[in-house]
Amino acid sequence: MDPLLEISQKLQSDYFRRMQLLFILDLISVFCIVYAITLIFQMEYFLNKSSLDARIPINIIPPILSFIIAVIAAFLRHKNDHKIKFNLLIESKYPELKEKVRTAYDNISESNVIVDSLKNSVLSGLTIVSASTLLATSVVVTKIIIVMFFVSGVTVISSQPEKYTIPVETIEDNIIKITGGNGNETSEAVGSPEDFGQAGGFETKPKIATIEGKNIDLTIFPGYEQGVELVKESQIQNPFIKSPEFPVDIMGSNVSDGGYSSLLKKTETEKQLINKFAVERSKI
Amino acid sequence: MSNETYTSSNRIFKELFDEIGKVIVGQREAVEQILIAIMCNSHALVESNPGLAKTLTISTVSKALDLKFSRIQCTPDLMPSDITGTYIIEDVGGKKQFRFEPGPVFSNIVLADEINRASPKTQSAMLEAMQEKQVTVGNKTYTLDKPFFVLATQNPIEMEGTYPLPEAQLDRFLLKILMDYPTEQEENEIVNRYTKNIIPAVNKVISKNEVLELQKLTRDVPIAEDIKSRAVNIVIATRAKSEHIEYGASPRASIGIILAAKARALMSGRNYVSAEDIDAMAYPVLRHRVILTFESERKGLTTDQVISHILKTVK
Repeated sequence: MDPLLEISQKLQSDYFRRMQLLFILDLISVFCIVYAITLIFQMEYFLNKSSLDARIPINIIPPILSFIIAVIAAFLRHKNDHKIKFNLLIESKYPELKEKVRTAYDNISESNVIVDSLKNSVLSGLTIVSASTLLATSVVVTKIIIVMFFVSGVTVISSQPEKYTIPVETIEDNIIKITGGNGNETSEAVGSPEDFGQAGGFETKPKIATIEGKNIDLTIFPGYEQGVELVKESQIQNPFIKSPEFPVDIMGSNVSDGGYSSLLKKTETEKQLINKFAVERSKI
Repeated sequence: MSNETYTSSNRIFKELFDEIGKVIVGQREAVEQILIAIMCNSHALVESNPGLAKTLTISTVSKALDLKFSRIQCTPDLMPSDITGTYIIEDVGGKKQFRFEPGPVFSNIVLADEINRASPKTQSAMLEAMQEKQVTVGNKTYTLDKPFFVLATQNPIEMEGTYPLPEAQLDRFLLKILMDYPTEQEENEIVNRYTKNIIPAVNKVISKNEVLELQKLTRDVPIAEDIKSRAVNIVIATRAKSEHIEYGASPRASIGIILAAKARALMSGRNYVSAEDIDAMAYPVLRHRVILTFESERKGLTTDQVISHILKTVK
């Protein structure tokens, strides 16, 4: 194998080994963060409360969920790692090798005085390149420290949950506050008994709704001699006004009373008789 | 031999510039581009105002390279045979016989001064010699000596009575070199040098064979694929529909940019082509191949400005 390719492959494998380590560290970090959140917010309690399939033990859902989120996050964070152009990475870290490395690689199969001299200079230049320069050891060490911090944090939280978790009542109260689900808004909107007026109508505080950027008052105001009129019982003189009598000569409407289905069950003779009756009846 | 020439190429180019610099004050870029065209085994077109030492520059280069130099002053009555040569009748032992008398084109470096003043027929003869590196007179074909380099000049003023080179002919020149007026400091130096009795002399730096070796080495300079793609994309961009460009450059321009960039890299002592070489050579390679629209010319845009814009946009 060409010595240039050999040294490059060695560097590349060292570099990607470090990238794999970073992937694992990121995965652990995200897992710790998400799992800590599930512990603090007592996810297990809420899962118990909800009607989940009883076959799955509730206590394993938070860690599994955290792990899945961690895998997705770490994958997204490192999805472009394999797309890194290694030669360009080397050139960016070592300006003295700028444009030389890729030229040497693109002409690896060529051989003449100039190409050979370029390959030699790149080869000697690559001897000073190390994976630790391409991916700084300080970055790896920092990530390890962060992971250790997160792991110890999760350990502390899970060992003393009563000290670090938020009480269920507080969470529920906050949820109600956030969602606004206290059930009192209807009576407020209608108005208290004091709001009822003297002039036959009722007055409420205006209930404003914003629809398509316009403020619309949703209060229903009574019209003249219409709507609800609140009066005291003693003041009622004619509690019932007799409606006009129903004229006897008016036929019923076409509203079905189930007669058609019962008609279908009749014999042919009965049907003819009914038909005849109806015709005669219509002449009255 | 190649190895020796390559290892000494740095020194050779440095000495060449120093030697030419004894006679030519300034014009470093023009001299560099002339040498690049020679290294690429191609030809160059120089456009400059009169009195900017075009002839002196090219004759100095030929002396430093130890090459045969000839100059053709193009005029409307110049005939193709005046360039290529012709058969003359001579008396040999009482017998009359034809003998071919080579024209000025049989040199290593030919300065075709004011080529646009020659008739199209003569221009064609000249350009054919440039392209084929051979001359056909009568039924016989004569191969021109190597290296063969033509430096044609055009005068941007006094366009009356000229026959501007057609675009297809212009495409045969690798570079169009612009020579500008010297700076005040340079002009003072010119005055000092050329108002004394001592005329600066030029020494030979390399031999003809070394020139040929350097021409071979130029083509050996490696180039990265992405840099090569950049050169090609620059040329393709000139062909894209644009408000500034009427006609773009041909694929010959892509070859020209890469070859000229290789020569520039070699002259700079680098064993690889840099993106900087491509950008630097895009101007002389493209400026005579790109034809601007009437609107751009009306606005006073120059080809170099349009090329600058293309270089900024192409990745």
